[in-house]
Amino acid sequence: MSNQPTGAQLVISTLKALGVETLFGYPGGAIMPIYDALAGSGLKHILVRHEQGAAFAADAYARATGSVGVCMATSGPGATNLITGIANAYMDSVPVVCITGQVATHLMGTDGFQEVDILGICLPIVKHSWLVRDPADIPAILAEAFAIAAEGRPGPVLVDIPKDVAAAHVAVSSAASFPEWTPPAPDAGAIKAAEKLIEQAKHPLLYIGGGVEIGDASKEVRDLVARTGIPAVSTLKGIGTLPTTDDLYLGMLGMHGTRAANIAVQDADLLIALGARFDDRATGKLNAFAPNAKIIHADIDPAEINKLRKADVAIVGDLKKTVAGLNPKMPGIQKWVEKCKADKWEHRFKYNAPGKGIYAPGLLKSLSEKAGDKFIAACDVGQHQMWVAQHCEFAHNRAHLTSGGSGAMGYGLPAGVGAKLAKPDHHVVTISGDGSFMMNIQEMATLNRYNIPLKIVLLDNSSLGLVRQWQELFYQENYSEIDLSDNPDFVEVAKAFGLSAFRITHRHEVEGALDKLLAAEGPTLLHVLIDPRENVWPLVPPGASNAEMMEERWDEPLDSY
Amino acid sequence: MSHLIHIELDRLEGSLLRILGLVERRGFNIDGAELYDLGEDKRGLSLTVRPRDLSRSLDILGLQIDRLYGIKRLASDPRGQATPSPTEPKAKINA
Repeated sequence: MSNQPTGAQLVISTLKALGVETLFGYPGGAIMPIYDALAGSGLKHILVRHEQGAAFAADAYARATGSVGVCMATSGPGATNLITGIANAYMDSVPVVCITGQVATHLMGTDGFQEVDILGICLPIVKHSWLVRDPADIPAILAEAFAIAAEGRPGPVLVDIPKDVAAAHVAVSSAASFPEWTPPAPDAGAIKAAEKLIEQAKHPLLYIGGGVEIGDASKEVRDLVARTGIPAVSTLKGIGTLPTTDDLYLGMLGMHGTRAANIAVQDADLLIALGARFDDRATGKLNAFAPNAKIIHADIDPAEINKLRKADVAIVGDLKKTVAGLNPKMPGIQKWVEKCKADKWEHRFKYNAPGKGIYAPGLLKSLSEKAGDKFIAACDVGQHQMWVAQHCEFAHNRAHLTSGGSGAMGYGLPAGVGAKLAKPDHHVVTISGDGSFMMNIQEMATLNRYNIPLKIVLLDNSSLGLVRQWQELFYQENYSEIDLSDNPDFVEVAKAFGLSAFRITHRHEVEGALDKLLAAEGPTLLHVLIDPRENVWPLVPPGASNAEMMEERWDEPLDSY
Repeated sequence: MSHLIHIELDRLEGSLLRILGLVERRGFNIDGAELYDLGEDKRGLSLTVRPRDLSRSLDILGLQIDRLYGIKRLASDPRGQATPSPTEPKAKINA
């Protein structure tokens, strides 16, 4: 036997040299040499029960920590099962390195067993990708993969390693390093031009996107708000940059945004977009979005500037330095600020829903308040996701983990696995719906195996609620394939996986149940039955301007179930 | 209106597919493509592209190409006429 390391051993030693401690994966034929090298390596490998769970868990691990998440899968179906997670990381700019096994080089292109061209399949949804042909390249490729995943606008990177390349011995003595990337400094002239626009504005508004969190510029944005007094709205991914309790924070904008946020955007004469990309869920009808506003657009990615809305001033570069560098002499905007605050008060959410049924928005608000500063929500996708964005309180960023651009149902549970492992001292709560939960329900086995004390709030309306809502409002109540009333007994299912679980059906049970959930020691599921007729409000209809919000109607009391 | 884009590709797995896929996915038809050998692990690619609708900007497409690794945009000609590439092609090869 050769004393030289194998390609697989180089994978493991390089991951360790790059600082990886935890990774998520699932073994199989083509990746067996790497799993052979993994055993006894000291790396903490979390064996998920579906590769999609590995990709989502790595994504959430990265979001919660700000470091690169790592997942592994074998060739063919193992690799294709990662794809939804890779696309999710791409859409939300999350740094994830995905390592896949590939069939041996001589079998590639022959339709070999479990062969799939994963590099080709993933080209549109990765920041970059490699097929490793020479084991000697492994340290350099992995080091570069980590650097590319994290630098600038982050994203997923795929490294596909054929089985023979992983098994081959090679004379490589040390792990490669890759030069540290420094974000480009913003142009001083552009900052001056931005300051001038701010000084001329009567109705300035900050539009905070996920790029602020990614660019580690949250403190700078908070300072900017404090020194200028400019009110702010955020995107779904920008939630938590400002404390949601901040007077000047008007809430999320867009389709399910707050009325105060959308009114402010429509009335603004200057929109200062920070790490935001004018996504269609945020803007509504694009040519009616912020119709009176000049635009300052600051982003690390020049390809986002002028993509959907022309910028009057563009600042490309390090967002931290950009925001810290903005020191305008503030004009008198007190009237504008007072109007924004008055709108916020007038259109505040109300929690006195009639009836005895559980009002999910009220439950979620209470959950976040009880969990406090250490609350981290790992959301699934649907009505509950929008209720979390609207009603939960967040004290900081990297706490609201949600599948934004991709809207991938099934994210919540594996994301909770990744986030709780990343932040064991936090109250990490997966908030899911009965549709989403079934998509990765198998990851309860992962919670049980590693005794990960994740808490789960499962809001069950026995239907695909957001689809049902749209069918009610925009498809003449033609309910098509949204009934999930034959769901299994989720409490019994959770118990069968080894979790603690209990159910509530009436509003008076909510507070005690939340206390019990947060105090529980191990992984625990709270099953909450809610009225299937409940909708998410407000709502901007598809194709409409954000000024045309539909409002909440409480025509009938909520039933308990 | 057609545009001609000159691109330099590193000889990396998937680089040609990567650039062609991006151009089509971002809303441009590819009306012509010529691949050249530039030596030293580089290839040159000249693409004639046409936006599928007026909302698609060649400037944005260029910036999206710039985000790719191992792929370098050399020049683009919005007049739609072939102009010499800054790096003179050495020998034409089959794409």
